[in-house]
Amino acid sequence: MSPSTVRARINGVGLLTALGLVALWEAAVRSGVLVYQYLPAPTPVLASAGELIASGELPANVLHTLTVTLIGWVAAGVIGIGLGVLLGLSQTAYRYSITSFEVLRAIPPITFVPAALLIFGFSLRMELVIVVYAGAWPLLINTLGGARGVPAELLDTARMLRMSRATTIRKIILPAATPAIVVGLRLALSMCLVLAVVAEMVGNPAGLGNALVRAQRALQPEQMFAYVLAAGVLGVTLNGLFRSTVGALLPASRQAQA
Amino acid sequence: MSDQGAAPGQQGGVCFHCPCVEVALPTDEGPRTILAGLGFDIHVGEFVSLVGRSGTGKTTLLRVLGGLLAPDPGSTVLFDGVPVKGPPEGVVMVFQNYGSSLLPWRTLEKNVALGIEDDLGKEEQRERVRWALQMVGLADRAQDYPWRLSGGMQQRLQIARALAMRPSVLLMDEPFGALDAMTRGELEDELLAVHEATGTTVVFVTHDIDEAVYLSDRVLVIQGSPATLGAEIPVECDRPRHQIKTKESEGFLKARQAVYEAIGVA
Repeated sequence: MSPSTVRARINGVGLLTALGLVALWEAAVRSGVLVYQYLPAPTPVLASAGELIASGELPANVLHTLTVTLIGWVAAGVIGIGLGVLLGLSQTAYRYSITSFEVLRAIPPITFVPAALLIFGFSLRMELVIVVYAGAWPLLINTLGGARGVPAELLDTARMLRMSRATTIRKIILPAATPAIVVGLRLALSMCLVLAVVAEMVGNPAGLGNALVRAQRALQPEQMFAYVLAAGVLGVTLNGLFRSTVGALLPASRQAQA
Repeated sequence: MSDQGAAPGQQGGVCFHCPCVEVALPTDEGPRTILAGLGFDIHVGEFVSLVGRSGTGKTTLLRVLGGLLAPDPGSTVLFDGVPVKGPPEGVVMVFQNYGSSLLPWRTLEKNVALGIEDDLGKEEQRERVRWALQMVGLADRAQDYPWRLSGGMQQRLQIARALAMRPSVLLMDEPFGALDAMTRGELEDELLAVHEATGTTVVFVTHDIDEAVYLSDRVLVIQGSPATLGAEIPVECDRPRHQIKTKESEGFLKARQAVYEAIGVA
């Protein structure tokens, strides 16, 4: 990426607004306009983040959450894309299973967190199950939509060119569904991160979510906000990495569709 | 039949022999008969247009010829003497909706190679793709993507993809219906040049009577609901054709009037 495109992609005024809001928060707390015992100003939060980084505590927690998010995302990808392709191609599989999927899909994944806790206990397994389950949905739905949404003309073209079923899937259906699958992957990535943090808050005693809740219970709002900040930075970084990877792998035409 | 200005390669042998085509399609109120016992032949090397009001079943008939739609039992549709069951080898369809018939993730070159890439060697393939792109005037855009082309160019690309397979028959479903008049005229003449050069049989669906007469050796009028063959009108015009001279010729005007009368407009 050339320096000029980097400049073009940074929204100067948008950044300025964000910095202004942080400054406003700082001013409001320091001037006594906002008086809450446990609402710190941004600067002590940053200082606390610095200490947590220096002690190695914050990096360790970020690493845990990141690892679970990524492992869960990959597993969700295998399951979600696999099921989506199967349901998209097999009318029989679709007819037998779509009702069950529609019902399950209507239940927010987060409501299964207490159940997973009961079943799997305070464990890494519980966290992974929740992350994979939540991440598989957007992938399943988007892959299914992409596979079923292939234009009739393309399928007729494949028949007219006397392509086999396998060749049609490989050359027509999967590439045609790729933009939808990419959207699914992006949604799933943020879903996995959110559910990892939630699972850590209530279940698995590790990672960002757990550290955040512990800081809260220890009445250390600076540390708590430092972890909130870390979760935000992690989310933005993951999304940015995803976008630039897609940008490098897919030609511009396909991204426009995604 | 009209043998006037026969294209090279026209031997007059029978390409499609269809003594009886019947098609009923399922609807909410049960099966509805679309085509009721149409009978016709299409000869090798011939350029035949199917015309009729919209909704009469022209596309349905074309899909039957292409093996994309099975006619009702009792129908007889023979290609090269063999019953059509699925798309026959050597028959390629060009769809009206070029936008969704092309692969946006492939370059022009690779779009054209789609039908031949598994069957031909690298060198032969490259040669064939270049030839096909040249036939439609897109050779200099080989590395470009279809979505960067105008509508007319996209339709040219679809035709090139069909040509690359060296088809003996081109089935064209209102291929120029979505194009502006000028582009349309250009593509008509390019198609005629391809027909001339390759001797390919063309079955061309259109609702534009002038276009049908201008391009064809014969015009089949399809009419009624359910549809039957209303008339079979030979076009006695010399080839190569000319957008102005041909359209002012007696043969053109005669055929044009006959088609209008058959459809019941004139």
